[in-house]
Amino acid sequence: MVTDGASSSFAVAASTKAAQDAALEKDVVLLFDLWRAPLLGYISTLRLAIEDGEEVVQEVFLALFQHLRSGRSRENLRGWVFRVGHNLALKRRAALQRPFLQQPDGALDEVRDAAPNPEQMLAMKQRQARLLAVVSALPDQDRCCLHLRAEGFRYREIAEVLGISLGSVALSLGRSLERLRHADR
Amino acid sequence: MRHSDAHLTEQDLLLAIDGELPLEETQHVRTHLEGCWTCRTKMREMEDTIADFIRARDETMPPFPAADGPRALLKARLRELARSEPSSAWERVRLGMLRRRVAAVALVAGLGALFVIGSLQTGEADHDGAAHRSHFANASVPDPQITPGAVLPVTKDDVCGTDVVEAVRVVPVDVARQVFAAYKIERPEPRAYEVDYLITPALGGSDSIRNFWPQPYRNTIWNAHIKDALEDHLRRMVCQGEIELAKAQQEIARDWIATYKKYFRTDAPLAEHATFLKDRPWE
Repeated sequence: MVTDGASSSFAVAASTKAAQDAALEKDVVLLFDLWRAPLLGYISTLRLAIEDGEEVVQEVFLALFQHLRSGRSRENLRGWVFRVGHNLALKRRAALQRPFLQQPDGALDEVRDAAPNPEQMLAMKQRQARLLAVVSALPDQDRCCLHLRAEGFRYREIAEVLGISLGSVALSLGRSLERLRHADR
Repeated sequence: MRHSDAHLTEQDLLLAIDGELPLEETQHVRTHLEGCWTCRTKMREMEDTIADFIRARDETMPPFPAADGPRALLKARLRELARSEPSSAWERVRLGMLRRRVAAVALVAGLGALFVIGSLQTGEADHDGAAHRSHFANASVPDPQITPGAVLPVTKDDVCGTDVVEAVRVVPVDVARQVFAAYKIERPEPRAYEVDYLITPALGGSDSIRNFWPQPYRNTIWNAHIKDALEDHLRRMVCQGEIELAKAQQEIARDWIATYKKYFRTDAPLAEHATFLKDRPWE
């Protein structure tokens, strides 16, 4: 079969593009496997139901594919993923106009046993329940900072994810920790 | 200016714990801690609180569903996305449709749950909900005041250049709620309606709320199955050059039943279209 130069270059370009897309898909799926659980965990702290969180995660990784496909920066992709996830989750929560997802009754009692001694176990459960109650009562921004820090993000990354200043992150974490420390008082 | 004998603030201690202090200040904190039992105790308390929070958080994190299903779903959607070039208005329509499909699984589950919750809450609710429906609720045609139809600026090439016929369209739950509310349908019966585009996206219809209405499957012979069949037929005609895209949009928006009768040359729905199902019913 005879092909002219233009169509053969087009065919080469198309096959190269297909190969690039396939490689990109592989990368995105690898990152999905790596970050789905922590992202889902973080989104659940924004008081979205798990099924809504799964939704958001899917949208995040589709957006990541588009982001990478258009040749944009690959720097700090984890921060990018959480930032997009944070924004999409808030958007979804607003769209659903869902009131706060309250922790079901007894959820705090389901803290898993870790101490052999019944008295210690009870004391630990009670302390964990108090801590979680404090966290649950924190303002959105403080709670987000705390959970992102718990995910291992540095202050600068948290500031980028939430779109706030570095100083606000430090203040927010300081405030939250003070409340947690005083949970027993 | 910092005095070496002044106690450290909690902020300084937290920044030190998190490794967020500049080098010079880190050295100052370290020196102070070496000589100050009070600040060392406070720092240890803070670290204990952090550790307790992390334990409580990890132990109460809800169990997430296995990743296999979501991973497979993502792969399928990525492949679909790879086939698209999101440059034109039409592609944005397709991306919108893809996003709706992304939403499909959870939305169906969510809507099902909403219905169950709604049923539980209403308790003695009437079974057909007839008392709550407006006169358009069981009608075959939309209320032109609420649903006049809306389109995107797309051309015939946009519409026909992409295979969207098999796309499963799922209307987001918040949009569906708005549509039912606009039509004063308080407790829609599951699988009884299709929250449908008046002008289908396959003909350039947009996602505007003005382009949706709750089309019943039952109670009328001119139902959602029949309209789905018309939508496919019109798109085929547009793509084969038998009718202008704008004309198809106008006709289906003005009176889809008359349009069906005109193009299928019949006064009643054809039997083969009675079970035609292209779009997903509202659940």
